[in-house]
Amino acid sequence: MICGVGALGSTAVHYCRNLDAELRVVDFDRVESKNLAAQWFVKQSVGKNKAEAIRLQLANFYGAKAEAMGVRLAATNAAQLLADCALAVDCFDNADSRIALADAARTAGVPLVHAALAGDGMFGIVRWDERFVADREDVAGQATCEGGEHLPMIGLVGATLARAIQDFVRAGDRRDYMISLSGVVRTT
Amino acid sequence: MAILNITYQGQSADYELELDFAASDDDIRRIAVEVVRSGGVRGLHVAQLSPRAFDDFVIDRLRGTDGAQRIYLRPKVPFGA
Repeated sequence: MICGVGALGSTAVHYCRNLDAELRVVDFDRVESKNLAAQWFVKQSVGKNKAEAIRLQLANFYGAKAEAMGVRLAATNAAQLLADCALAVDCFDNADSRIALADAARTAGVPLVHAALAGDGMFGIVRWDERFVADREDVAGQATCEGGEHLPMIGLVGATLARAIQDFVRAGDRRDYMISLSGVVRTT
Repeated sequence: MAILNITYQGQSADYELELDFAASDDDIRRIAVEVVRSGGVRGLHVAQLSPRAFDDFVIDRLRGTDGAQRIYLRPKVPFGA
């Protein structure tokens, strides 16, 4: 289950389209035209719910299946959304949602991997929950990369996350990575 | 003892001398400023680095793939979606 399909989540889910697994995508938000510069959405998706847009793009462009959940994940519904999940993936853009997902995943015993990006678009991490602590924004609701200036780094972090997901699904590996302009380094 | 890795302005590198794994966060930030200013971290030489450059950075203490203790000084990563 991929939670949050903005910049990192939408990129990672497209790199997981060949995975021998059922993908569930969770996001309450809608695609806006400004998202096209930094997120893996196409013009025809503007106005649609992001989870539904991902489902349609995977089906129409790649013949891949996904389940779309167009809701906001919260403490009240997290357990229900996580039902039957073998893996949860956190690509949220705020600490509160990351913490709500982590609490629910720990309670349900569902493995959880997080991906996160610095505001300057020059650094990111992919880290499993047992070693992850959510960083808070400097200002609540702080936006990043609406103009697409960080798109190459988003692609790099999203692809690294997809690799971590694939390694887990195929072999149960839980590898952490740190991504900077210097390269991608495995940290555990 | 632990290896200190510093990430600053998109560049990431190890400091070649080991630190006490239990060093305080303030000490780590202070040491990091000094070694980046002095050129002690390959690829990360900023002679005029502000003494407060790492004030908002996060410190992670982890065990690396080789089993070694490592301290990471890195920017905050609040974003995803």
